[in-house]
Amino acid sequence: MASNKGASLSRRDFFKASGLAVGGGLLGGLAPSVAKAAVPDSKWESHFSACDMCFNKCGLVARVRDGVVTKLDPNPKFLKSRGMLCARGNAGIAQLYDPDRLKHPLIRVGDRGEGKWQRIPWDEALDMAARKMQEIRKKYTPCGHLFSAGADLQTQFVTRFAEVYGSYNITSHESLCLLSGTRGFLDTFGEVPFADVLNSRYVIMAGANRFEALVTPDSMDLMTAMKDGCKLVVLDPRFTKTAALAHEWHPIRPGTDMIFMLALMHIIIGEKLFDPEWIAEKTSGIEKLTEHVRQYTPQAAADQCGIPREDIVRIARELAEAAPRSMVYPGRRTSDYENSTQIRRSFALVNALLGNWDRPGGLLAARQVGLKGVPYDPPWYDENPDDRVDAHKVPGMFEHEGSFVITRDAVLKGEPYPIKGWFVYKTNPLVNAPNRKKSIEMAKAMEFMTVVDITMSDTAWMADLVLPAPSYLERQDPCSGLQGSVACACVVKRDPVVEPLYKTRPVFDILKSIADRLELGEHFDFSMDEYRDQQLRGLPDAMDALDRDGVYYNPSKVYGIYDGRIYKTTSHKIELYNKRYEQMGQDPMPVYTPPSSVPENHFRLVIGRNAYLTHGSTCNNAMLHELVPENELWLHPSAATKQGIDTGDTVLVSSAVGQGEIKVRVTEKIREDTVYMLTGFGPLSKGLSLIQDSGASIADILEDRFDTISGNASMHETIVSVTRKVPA
Amino acid sequence: MTRQFKRHDRSDIFMHWFNAACWIILLVTGVGLIGNPDLDPVGSWYPRTLRALVGGGANLLNIHLAVGFIWIFAFVGYLAINARGALFFLREIFMVSPARDMGWMIRKMVIMTLGPKVLRKLGMNPDLPAQGFYNMGQKAFAQASVVGGVIIAVTGIIMFLSDKVFTAQGTWIVSWSITLHFVAVGLVFAGLLVHIYMAAISPEERPGFKSMFTGSVPEDYARHHHGLWYDSVKSENASTGDETG
Amino acid sequence: MTKKQLAMVIDSGACIDCKACVISCKVANKVPGAFSRNWIKEQAPDFSGTARPSMHFQPGACMHCDTPTCVAACPTGATYKDLETGIVEIDKGLCIGCGNCIPACPYGARYRNPETCKADKCDYCPERRAAGLPPACVDTCPTKARVFGDINDPMSEAHQLLKSGKNPIVTVVNEVTDTKPNMYYLDKTAPGDWTEPAVVPASMTAMKQLTPLVKGIVGLSGLGVLAMLGRQLLVGDSHEQEENHHD
Repeated sequence: MASNKGASLSRRDFFKASGLAVGGGLLGGLAPSVAKAAVPDSKWESHFSACDMCFNKCGLVARVRDGVVTKLDPNPKFLKSRGMLCARGNAGIAQLYDPDRLKHPLIRVGDRGEGKWQRIPWDEALDMAARKMQEIRKKYTPCGHLFSAGADLQTQFVTRFAEVYGSYNITSHESLCLLSGTRGFLDTFGEVPFADVLNSRYVIMAGANRFEALVTPDSMDLMTAMKDGCKLVVLDPRFTKTAALAHEWHPIRPGTDMIFMLALMHIIIGEKLFDPEWIAEKTSGIEKLTEHVRQYTPQAAADQCGIPREDIVRIARELAEAAPRSMVYPGRRTSDYENSTQIRRSFALVNALLGNWDRPGGLLAARQVGLKGVPYDPPWYDENPDDRVDAHKVPGMFEHEGSFVITRDAVLKGEPYPIKGWFVYKTNPLVNAPNRKKSIEMAKAMEFMTVVDITMSDTAWMADLVLPAPSYLERQDPCSGLQGSVACACVVKRDPVVEPLYKTRPVFDILKSIADRLELGEHFDFSMDEYRDQQLRGLPDAMDALDRDGVYYNPSKVYGIYDGRIYKTTSHKIELYNKRYEQMGQDPMPVYTPPSSVPENHFRLVIGRNAYLTHGSTCNNAMLHELVPENELWLHPSAATKQGIDTGDTVLVSSAVGQGEIKVRVTEKIREDTVYMLTGFGPLSKGLSLIQDSGASIADILEDRFDTISGNASMHETIVSVTRKVPA
Repeated sequence: MTRQFKRHDRSDIFMHWFNAACWIILLVTGVGLIGNPDLDPVGSWYPRTLRALVGGGANLLNIHLAVGFIWIFAFVGYLAINARGALFFLREIFMVSPARDMGWMIRKMVIMTLGPKVLRKLGMNPDLPAQGFYNMGQKAFAQASVVGGVIIAVTGIIMFLSDKVFTAQGTWIVSWSITLHFVAVGLVFAGLLVHIYMAAISPEERPGFKSMFTGSVPEDYARHHHGLWYDSVKSENASTGDETG
Repeated sequence: MTKKQLAMVIDSGACIDCKACVISCKVANKVPGAFSRNWIKEQAPDFSGTARPSMHFQPGACMHCDTPTCVAACPTGATYKDLETGIVEIDKGLCIGCGNCIPACPYGARYRNPETCKADKCDYCPERRAAGLPPACVDTCPTKARVFGDINDPMSEAHQLLKSGKNPIVTVVNEVTDTKPNMYYLDKTAPGDWTEPAVVPASMTAMKQLTPLVKGIVGLSGLGVLAMLGRQLLVGDSHEQEENHHD
């Protein structure tokens, strides 16, 4: 692939300059264009905010004319996103003005999931929610109520409420997403790294799709780095756009990434391609690792993963040659296999061998943002059980994230204790969690279920009480600290850019009102402004910067954070060999086990998303729906021929737990033994008008397995059959 | 004083001059609405200047549309009120006697441009066959005006409706309307030049021209130029005893 | 040669097909439904095994050509090349939505807006430019693949990219219709085979072909009148006497 030196140099200089500027606490280079962008002209007012169309929280400028948002633009001063707003960010306007928005509190009047609702006044709705919560607490202890909240700036109030109410049972969205990777890297480096893609010279991307599943600034920085000569090697069973733009794409056999990584280590250690001093100083367990990876020869790996031996050897050498400015990209969604923590730990170990930790072009430690927490003191409830309902099933579960899949099983069994109330905010397990039948049963097991959302999500569809929230453009949120790798460590805030369209209430107000009714008001006796003041108490200049630029940058250290500092691991070093794992009875170093085999005429189902969708939350967005009206099943031509299937045919995709109907796209962009579909489609809810009958739901088909260390869902372990549906 | 023969009502006279005024404005603005180097009938300076004068092509289009609609509505209204007159007019202009009228037409054209001597040299009788209320030249132009006028009005309305009712699939109708509008105006304009010369400049039709103000023509003009009409009026008058004056 | 030529210089190799530009443009310009003023074309991958499969994405929009075929297809000049900016503009007050220009664009850059019933296409966001903002697609692009500016202004980034000589510059045209587009791609771009020959509707071709005929007929008529007038002036009204012979 031809690189473009001229253009990339200038672009790179620009970013370098801005990176340096952050380091020096100045943003001189960007100022002129920004000043213009932020100045309101006669036609519209401009308001800063932070996007909420995915988790990235990109800085934006809302152009408002006569109280109507006419355009959302990127905040050019927002370095984390490199001054961009993606398709979804631009389509935020269609979320705000979506006719399917929830407009009133609704109470279920038919059977659960039947879709019969009645409007009720807010006071009545809040009285009911409080009364039911109180009943459940009385009957089943406070832990008998489950709280689930997705990634949102107000999620901290759900956690706060749950804890003062007395429940330990809080699940986030992350156990359906990234926890295995978090676990694997945390248990190697003592913290979760940020990849300095911008300054890297060689990136291996496995189990990640940065040019479609956008992560800021990684996605943009990857392109900039590539323009400057960085090599990108993609391992993916699917020809993603990242694969399409990479220097190399290897259609790896799904579930074999670990042995590829182990073989890389085999070469790097065997050929002594690492920096022995750095390894000796910063890591522990090199001898054990040397011994461990001896068995993982490139040939053994090639036999498993399908990538030729010589390619594996060459890639290992190239990667080591570029070290420490090279990396195995950590990835984000790692909810794929039952041993995902170990798979990602193998990624982490290659990085450790490259000596790229805390160095340019490598993996960076979290930078100081300076945002303070707002402490609270939850009351003690004697009647509560000892632990979370999903405790002790996996050794490496994150206490504050939980495991949705394990929690759900516990709810269905009623063991170790019953859970009969469920409060859900801005997460949608009914469309994102595997094995939907169980999710439906879980909802049915509840005595009372409250969902706060902006549209009738599949999860809201199963609720007793649905409370309408304002969209991100209509509400005030707490400040949020963001890490942008080398780009920035920053703070953003969100204020309404327009008046709320409907009689909606933010979850903060809702919980505050319920807390008052439950005599827990003292834990919510503050306004949002007061809360933000508390958050910013260590950053006296931040509010001014936020008002002026829409973002506050902490000019904190980027590299060398660990110089003279110990690692937050048991050995106080980077753990090639994890002693704690040994103690827990887990493999202290990743041991490869082959993935389940795919029988003849069956396929492994892999899932993912593209740059136009954030799972279920955006499929019904009118503008994005123009780009992706439905999901399709990618099927390789040779498999399609065998089954007599053509592009456009409707097929039945069946697994051990369920099935779904979906149209087929016959394409060589997928391995013969694998099929792929987008997440987010095939809704239960009739309140999402654009995507009725729009394909299959992953939730219907995927089996509910989980990572045996973190409890994260394992969404690539499902084997399916694909049969052509004969038209009636 | 010679006896006067009445040819036109006041309303006819008004409509004639109203039409003339509309057509001039429509022609002047319409030509200015053509803005394409491959079409510009009088050169691209013309639309540029005219548009600058009225503050842009959009204004010019609006003027053209307004006058066009005034013209159409006035005509439709006039026809509704004066259906008898309209029918008389249409019957007169479309009743063509091939031998008499064509002979008149050919001979008249030769006389007007080359002179009667040439006609004689060609071995043709320079005497013109007697004509009715309208001579064949007038009929020809009237026919062109009626047919052309209807085409121009209909295509004009289609163009007006283009961005109001037509979908993308129907734009071929609009596009052909533009072509037809243009061609029809061109042909009517060609006839109009002759009409203006004959009626307003040529001395022989001076009484006819005057009648477009006064409404009547002198007896000998009527006899010479519209013999058949003269005869019919005469006999009619004889039977009723009424005389036009 | 225009004084100014607002144009885009695109590094299509940096495009990741995220379609931010497409949605941004649709919002900024209220482009309805399935229509779009801009696009990202893709070079399909080759899986035949002869080469490593790869894709190339090519952002595009109206190319504000030097010899625009859409302008030639417009009877009224509602579509015109603005010599002040180099933009091919649509005068929405003059455009009646006859549709002639739409097939006349080799790039499919135009569509007939079903709400306004007029031709529509990229105009480089005049309202945004007036407010000091880049066009919506340029502003929002994650990899900043689109560089916008006056290529005749040596100070502009677009000019510098275009004229630096560091990168070969290509345009996308077909053999039948070369409109001299002002949409420049750095290094190389693909796909290159998607443009169509410009199609001028038959009605417009007929109008152009009939124009000399119409002019001829009007000319003949004018000549006739001139002949009559000449005769009148030269011979006087003698013909009247001759005409009187038949008395």
